[in-house]
Order: sequence, then C-alpha cells, then structure tokens
Amino acid sequence: MPNIICCFKWVVDEAYIKPSSSGKIDLEWAEYKLSDYDRNAIEEAVQLQEKYGGSVTAVTVASSDATKGIKDALSRGPEKAYFINDDQFENLEPSQTSAILAKVIGDQIDYDLIICGEGSSDMYSQQVGPRLAEKLGIPCIAFVNQLTIEDNRIIAERKTDDGLEVISAPLPALVTVLPDINSPRVPGLKDTLAASKKPVIEIDLEDLGSEYERLLIDEGLRAASMERNCSRFGAGPEDIKAFVEAVRKTGVIDRG
Amino acid sequence: MSGVWIYADKYEQGVELLTAGRGVADMLGMKLTALVSGDNNIAQDFIARGADEVLLLPPLTESQPVQDYVPLMADEARDADPDVFLIAASLKGKEMAARIAARLDTALCSECSAMNIDEKGKLQMERLMYGGAAIQTVSISSRPQMATIPPRSYEAAPVQSDRQGNIKTLESPEPSGMQVMERKGKAQASGDITAARIIVCAGRGIENQEDLAMVRELAEVLGGEVACTRPISEEKHWMTEESCIGLSAKEVKPALYLGIGVSGQIQHVVGIREAGIICAVNSDENAPIFESADYGITGDLYQIVPALIEEFKK
Ligand SMILES: Cc1cc2nc3c(=O)[nH]c(=O)nc-3n(C[C@H](O)[C@H](O)[C@H](O)COP(=O)(O)OP(=O)(O)OC[C@H]3O[C@@H](n4cnc5c(N)ncnc54)[C@H](O)[C@@H]3O)c2cc1C
Repeated sequence: MPNIICCFKWVVDEAYIKPSSSGKIDLEWAEYKLSDYDRNAIEEAVQLQEKYGGSVTAVTVASSDATKGIKDALSRGPEKAYFINDDQFENLEPSQTSAILAKVIGDQIDYDLIICGEGSSDMYSQQVGPRLAEKLGIPCIAFVNQLTIEDNRIIAERKTDDGLEVISAPLPALVTVLPDINSPRVPGLKDTLAASKKPVIEIDLEDLGSEYERLLIDEGLRAASMERNCSRFGAGPEDIKAFVEAVRKTGVIDRG
Repeated sequence: MSGVWIYADKYEQGVELLTAGRGVADMLGMKLTALVSGDNNIAQDFIARGADEVLLLPPLTESQPVQDYVPLMADEARDADPDVFLIAASLKGKEMAARIAARLDTALCSECSAMNIDEKGKLQMERLMYGGAAIQTVSISSRPQMATIPPRSYEAAPVQSDRQGNIKTLESPEPSGMQVMERKGKAQASGDITAARIIVCAGRGIENQEDLAMVRELAEVLGGEVACTRPISEEKHWMTEESCIGLSAKEVKPALYLGIGVSGQIQHVVGIREAGIICAVNSDENAPIFESADYGITGDLYQIVPALIEEFKK
C-alpha cells in the first residue's frame, strides 16, 4: 500500500493581476488560490489511495500567508499536511523550494510516490518536481497523463514532443502531472469542515538547520500589457456587416 | 575552464541553439561546446554550423529514455565548469535541464524569452510569469548560468565552410532503472498554426465536437487555419495539442486572429500578443478577451458564426 506525497503551492490568482499605470504589477488586491495543476496532483494522489490503499500527505513550502492553502489542500482528501513555513520563505525560487522539500521529505516522511503538478500557475518554471527527485535520488517522470502502480513499480504515460511514452520505474519515484490526468473534485462544506480537524505538522527554517541561498536573482519585473482598444459590435445583421467591413478595411484578408 | 554549452534532444532545436550559443560565446569571447546525441556526421555538422567542440552522447538502448543522459551530462559539466549552459525547452529538455541544474546546485531560467549580457559579462534573462501578465528579468549567481530556450526562438545556424573542431565521444550512460515500454506517435495536425496568416480559434464556448465544423468553415472562407484553447485539446481532446495556442502550447503571429467562444485568460492570450488584428466573438460582454481585442462581437456564437460565414463569403 503506497504512501503518497503530493506537493502544492499557494499562489496569486493571476486573474487579479492588473498592471498599474506605472507599468508595475500591483498585488495589493490579489486573491490567492491553490495552484491549478497542484489540484490535479492532489486529486491523483487521492484517487490512487482509493484504488490501492496507503496514505496521502500534502506538503507545501511557503510563508505563513499560505495557512488558508493548507485547509484548501486538506479539504481535497489528503489525511495530513506538512506546512514548512517561515517568513523568509516568501518568493522562493525553484532551487530553494526543492532543496527545502527534499530536506523535510527525506528526513521525516515515509513515501513510495511523490506527485507534483507540472508547473505552478504563478511562475510556471516546471522545475520543482524534477529537482526534488534529483535531490532525493529517485526516478523522475515528468508530464504524466496516466498512472498505475504494479509490483512496486510505477507505470506512467507521459507526453513528449513526438507523442507519448509509457515508462516504468521502480518505486520510490516522483511524477509531475498534466491537467488532463483527472478532473479535480470540488470540495464541499463537509470536506472543508473535516479539513480543519486533520493534523498539520509545522516546520520552520530553524527546524531545518540550514540556509537556503537564492541563486536565481530578481533583476526586475514589468507588466506585459496586452490591452488593445476594442471596437465593440452587437449581434444584429447590421453589426455583423459593420464588423466584417471593419476587419476588411484593415487589409488582413486577401480575398473579398 | 570557461565556455558556453548547448544541448537539445532534437536536431532542429540543436541547430537553433547553435545560433543562440554562438552569439553568447562570441560576446563573452568563449568556446562553444555542443552536447549531441548521434554519430560523427552529426558532430561534424554541428561544428560546421558553429560549435568549437562536440561532446558526442553515445546511442541509448531501445528501452532507455533520453533522460538517462542526465547524470552523464551533469558529471561532464561539473568537470568542465562552463559559464553558460543552454538547453532546448522541449518537454524532455525542460525536465533534463531542471535535473541537471539540481545536480550542479545552480539556478535555471525556464523558457527564457530574451537574453542580454551585462557589462560584467553576466546573462540578464527575461521570462514570463503570472501566466504571461508580467515579464521578469533574472540573473544567476551560481555556475553555470542555465536557461531553457523555447523552440523557434532562433534561426537555425547555417553551415559554414572551413570550420574545425574537436569531437569527444562520451561513455555510454548507465541504465537508470527507468524503462520505456512503448512509444506512440501523435496524430498529425492538419496545418501549421505557427505559419498561418489567419487563425480562427475555437474555445470552450463551443458545446459539441460537431460544431467545430462551423468554425472550420469560417476558417476556410477566410483562407486560414483552425486553432484552439487548452480545454479543447487537453480536456475534450477534440483537436490535437499541435493546434493549441498559449503559454503551455504554441505562440502564433497571424495577421488576423479570430477567437470563437474564447474567454481570453492570460495563459491563452499571451500566445497571440504578436497577432496583427485580434477579433473575438463571446456572449459575455465582460469576457477578458475583449480587453485584448481590436474588434469584438458580443453575442451567441451559434448565431454569429453562420452570419460571419455568409458575410465574409460576399
Ligand atoms: C499554467 C497554466 C498554463 C496554461 N496554458 C494554457 C495555454 O497554453 N493555452 C490555453 O488556451 N490555455 C492555457 N491555460 C488555461 C487558461 O487559463 C484557460 O483556462 C483557458 O485558456 C480557457 O479556455 P477557453 O477560453 O476555451 O474556455 P473558457 O474559459 O471556459 O471560456 C469559454 C468562453 O466561451 C464563452 N461562451 C460560452 N458559450 C458561448 C456562446 N454560445 N457564444 C459565445 N460565447 C460563448 C464564455 O462566455 C466564455 O468566455 C493554462 C492555465 C494554466 C494555469
């Protein structure tokens, strides 16, 4: 019966990101969410547990702002969570996040399988999963869209640029999953209530006993404005005519 | 030692990285080394196209995944200690780059969209974040400075006559215990959306797969290709991922883009920002696509698409 770890990140909801007039990014009013594809990671862990038994543990590294994220993750089915949090864990880069996860997972958690999302919604660096596997010295299968466990091996179908590959690897192993692997459940009120009763193990920087230096240095951030000045048309026949006329006038259509 | 290294798991991306790597190596006054899987002919070709040295990766067995090169590549890089290591951002390349970076305890700029060298000879790299809503500039304080480079970011390096270089064949990598049990090719997409002048894009506002016919007809009338959003390719599987536009799919630069039932989330829109004219049909007047569009129609696509087909036919 596999012990499964799923990793998740609590991120700024990009739908709330609007460039300010100065071209800076204003996060003051931003809402947070559980990173989209980490929902698939948690769902996959829970579905595997439903099939094979074992346990599911959710793990995140964050600043204390992510407390809500712990509850959100637990409401999706894992039975406990490790909340590795410290005020210094704000905006970690992938080499730091993966090193911290490896330290805690390697020292403190029994596992057969680790599941991560293919990339986070905010940074989408797609590094933490593969890096974590290397740090733990276990096989890594990235971009997986189907998963089974057989005889202490994992069989995964992963996407490649040429199509698909079916890979088998000995456990323990790590996979990163694509959004089409499953449809994450939407937690109900009961799940949310149950989540607040589940154990959460908190770990801070001091407990880890080492420093995690930033190697990817921020040199600046600017808004990528994609705003255009939209001429709006309705659905009536005259509107359609006017729209087609307007598009034709731009000269982008060869014929007609 | 100093130098610039490149690796791509595919030939086409390898020759693009030769252009990128040669540029960086020349600016830094360094040697360009290419890691290449294949035989001596390919090594010679890489030298003719700009490499000063080729590290030839020996062939793998049928059941070995290309990722088995990771420990070998990391060991070579640790010994040679290059300044810069660029890897093609294919799916395999992205995974391999992250794993090599972890082994070398260095940082990696994922999907670098622009690269400059500052007065200290350090790379200043740009990449998208927040789904494409922002551009972040990063540098790397450790060695080597690593980045993955999206396909088609650079032209293929041309063959030049009279170029000389060393070829060193590396030892075969140890099997990792991972086995490829099966490889499946993918269905060929009808047209290449990255080359299309006109694109009609199908979004989740389209309710049934059959209704794509109407979108295809509109594309035909306009002389363009049909593309789609991620839900259409990844969730519904109505079209192939080759047809998908956006952050995790393709970036397109058509003269005209027309989105049908596309909400215009940032991760999609980032793939069309270079489009000439952006048009959208959406029943929700508050859909974000209208903020990124030049011309928008608010209304039911089931009524509007047939009307557009008629009108554009005229
Ligand atoms: C890390 C990450 C990467 C991603 N990468 C990509 C990517 O590369 N490409 C991509 O496309 N997405 C990507 N996404 C997903 C993206 O965020 C959106 O979910 C997706 O683009 C939405 O697709 P859609 O517009 O087709 O669907 P929806 O958002 O569901 O929009 C459907 C729209 O259709 C309209 N509609 C419904 N019925 C009608 C009707 N009868 N007539 C007219 N309009 C109608 C609705 O008003 C709505 O606006 C990514 C997400 C993440 C988190």
